[in-house]
Amino acid sequence: MSDYKKPLPEIQPYSQPFWDGTKKGLLLIQHCNACDANIFYPRRDCPDCWSQDLGWIKASGRATVYTYSVTYEGVEQKFVEDLPIILAWIDLPEGIRMHTNLVECQPEDVAIGMEVEVVFRSITEDITLPFFRPV
Amino acid sequence: MTKSGLAIVGIAEVPTRRDPERQRWDILLDVCMGAIRDAGIDKNLIGAVISNNPMAQPSMQNDMSLGKIPEVMGLKGCRDIAICNAGGASTTNCLRLAEQHIASGQVDYVLIPHTTVQSDMPPQDLINFFATAPLDKQFEYPYGVSFNGSMGLITQRYMYETGATEEELASVTVALRAWGALDPLSIFYGKTVTLDDVMNSRMISTPLKAKECNLLADGGGAMVVTSWEKARELGDKAVYKLGHGTRFMSATPMLREDVFHRQAYRESSRDALSQAGLSIHDMDLRQIYGAYPYTQCSALEGYGVCEDGQGAKLWAEGRCGPGGDLPCTTMGDATGRGHTGSGVSMAFYLDSVRQLRGEAGDRQVDQCEHAILTTSGGSVMNTCTTVFGRKPR
Repeated sequence: MSDYKKPLPEIQPYSQPFWDGTKKGLLLIQHCNACDANIFYPRRDCPDCWSQDLGWIKASGRATVYTYSVTYEGVEQKFVEDLPIILAWIDLPEGIRMHTNLVECQPEDVAIGMEVEVVFRSITEDITLPFFRPV
Repeated sequence: MTKSGLAIVGIAEVPTRRDPERQRWDILLDVCMGAIRDAGIDKNLIGAVISNNPMAQPSMQNDMSLGKIPEVMGLKGCRDIAICNAGGASTTNCLRLAEQHIASGQVDYVLIPHTTVQSDMPPQDLINFFATAPLDKQFEYPYGVSFNGSMGLITQRYMYETGATEEELASVTVALRAWGALDPLSIFYGKTVTLDDVMNSRMISTPLKAKECNLLADGGGAMVVTSWEKARELGDKAVYKLGHGTRFMSATPMLREDVFHRQAYRESSRDALSQAGLSIHDMDLRQIYGAYPYTQCSALEGYGVCEDGQGAKLWAEGRCGPGGDLPCTTMGDATGRGHTGSGVSMAFYLDSVRQLRGEAGDRQVDQCEHAILTTSGGSVMNTCTTVFGRKPR
């Protein structure tokens, strides 16, 4: 039984491969085999062409910080022990933008445009969350 | 054929406060009766009640969706009941549904109410609601994001792209609080803040400081709307809807290409102004509901009041606050009035009516003939822009 108290991602059937991937240390991006779009977040149908012929590609794991915000207060009690939390939106070369936390760095080290790479942290037996750290 | 449309002919609002003793139904009845009395019509002429969905108020939501208002108030002429939920922008959708009823010729007057009490809810529940309802529960929420955090992310990028400084953005809050300080309906009535007060307030989610974030509060308001023809019979108190345009961007903030909604402000205002046959320079008042300071800047850029990236400078120069030559958001936005959930949009419409009627007291904009108003819902998923005038066109 995990003692992880923070919210777990609400996984949907069609996003399960993403979370299976993070468990194995892979950052997988949903890919439409019909129109070649990379899709985030994962859907049942391609939002561009409605094809259901969807697969997965392996992302490089590198990304660029599009923006960030350091949160010092105003979070739910279960996140208080993590403060300050560095929130970020990061751009992957695969053409998608993800929301994440920047880890293994201090708030003053963070800047828009900085290069980061994925780092996986297992939070429960079933769930591994992707975070990003400076390269 | 004479052009017709929608007019607002009666309004009422309770002061925005944090007062758990003030009950949701008391607020509701006060504003509904107030708006009908203000219109000067018999209650049984109300043909439909289209309610603004009160966010995070499930019991009240059921009462309002399922017909309690006309029953309790004895609105014997009521033919239809509905609730509209598009988050903070709900009032805009209520107006559109009301307009359809009125255009059908089968209903003359529609009552549009709102009530919200948040002061009796635990703060942790409210943080949870605003972190989960408008944000993604799979790819955002597990990372400790709050609504403030989400808006902090956008604000940081806005500063990066435009060169706007933290001081310039803080001047937005100074001006919004200056409007609020002059408004008996604001929770901040009589309480101005200085630039230092904002800059020195606690850091919440960089670059947003405590005074730039919303104080969740209680409030309520209502309006009675009718056709231009009926409105003319009621005399000077009518305010006329002249044009309208909307754009939807995305539910999830990180997926928004138009990250500052500048393009959505541009296109929705262009549609509204073109329908009204007016230009942005004909507007005497700009009312922007974005709930966070950067929206007060990017909206002015999208409207075409200034070049992209120059919005914060207009606020820093004092041009948008009391005494400025470009009065904006006399309602104070959520930052300067208190955030009443989906009620912020209601308060924006009511304040615009007051300004166009010349009833805005110490905040009155000189010669206010035309106003442009934008509401947004969710995490600023959309921009709903309306042009109102003192006269029909």
